Amino acid sequence: MPESSAIDQALVDKLLGDATLRTLLPDGVFFDEAGPSIAGGGNATRFVLVSLADETDEAVFGHRGFEDALYLVKAVELKPAIGSGNVKAAAARIDVLLEDGTITAAGYTPMVCHRESRFRITEVDEHDTSIRWQHRGGHYRVQQSV
Amino acid sequence: MAILSGRNGQVLYDPAGVTPVALVSLKSWKASFKTDYIDVTCFGDANKVRVPGLPDIAGSGDGFWNSSNVVLFAAASATTPGKLKLVPSSVEPTFFWSGLAYMSADIDVAVNGAPGVSFSWVAAGPFVEAP
Repeated sequence: MPESSAIDQALVDKLLGDATLRTLLPDGVFFDEAGPSIAGGGNATRFVLVSLADETDEAVFGHRGFEDALYLVKAVELKPAIGSGNVKAAAARIDVLLEDGTITAAGYTPMVCHRESRFRITEVDEHDTSIRWQHRGGHYRVQQSV
Repeated sequence: MAILSGRNGQVLYDPAGVTPVALVSLKSWKASFKTDYIDVTCFGDANKVRVPGLPDIAGSGDGFWNSSNVVLFAAASATTPGKLKLVPSSVEPTFFWSGLAYMSADIDVAVNGAPGVSFSWVAAGPFVEAP
């Protein structure tokens, strides 16, 4: 039976491998929690965050038939003092990559990858209320046949 | 002997009616062995009285469309019955029902889900329970 985390990793790798997205959000693509910037090593302020929102395994006789996951994939950016930043363009780029895209995970056969709903919020930083974080992206359905 | 999970159930079928082979990507099956009862109530009986007729053996099942195995749909248009074998659990492979059966099949495709298939079957000859 293939290892389910391979699907998570394949999704991250697909986003991480896109030069256009990396230009827009150079600090990296992270799962669940942002780490240090892969570009400069400091705090990440422009990055993609991926998390598993929901997951169901569909059984067939004798084994798992396919895995049905819903991921929240969003561009996260510290709102710049001037202008609106890259969050809009980055979210659009994420959608270009994932809408009807192919996620190639070891041991699985791709079934579908598409957005189910949009996601957009502005977060007030809990330590410095003058700072705003912009989050934009969507919930993406990823199904992989075992 | 113990109660087993249906996770290892099997539906096997052979269109030639000889050696059934497992159909893939199925997730449920049902079989019904209902006998018709003939009303033979007579004047003076204290209640209705019935005697058994013949069992009506039929069933159904469902799963997902898998292009690697389309036997079900070929069977649905066959004019001769194939051999159907239904195993509650492959953990106890000697316990099963089998016999000749006619198959019907449906496919259900929706934009927001995996294509599903369902089937129904009716006996076309004696059905036996093993062991």
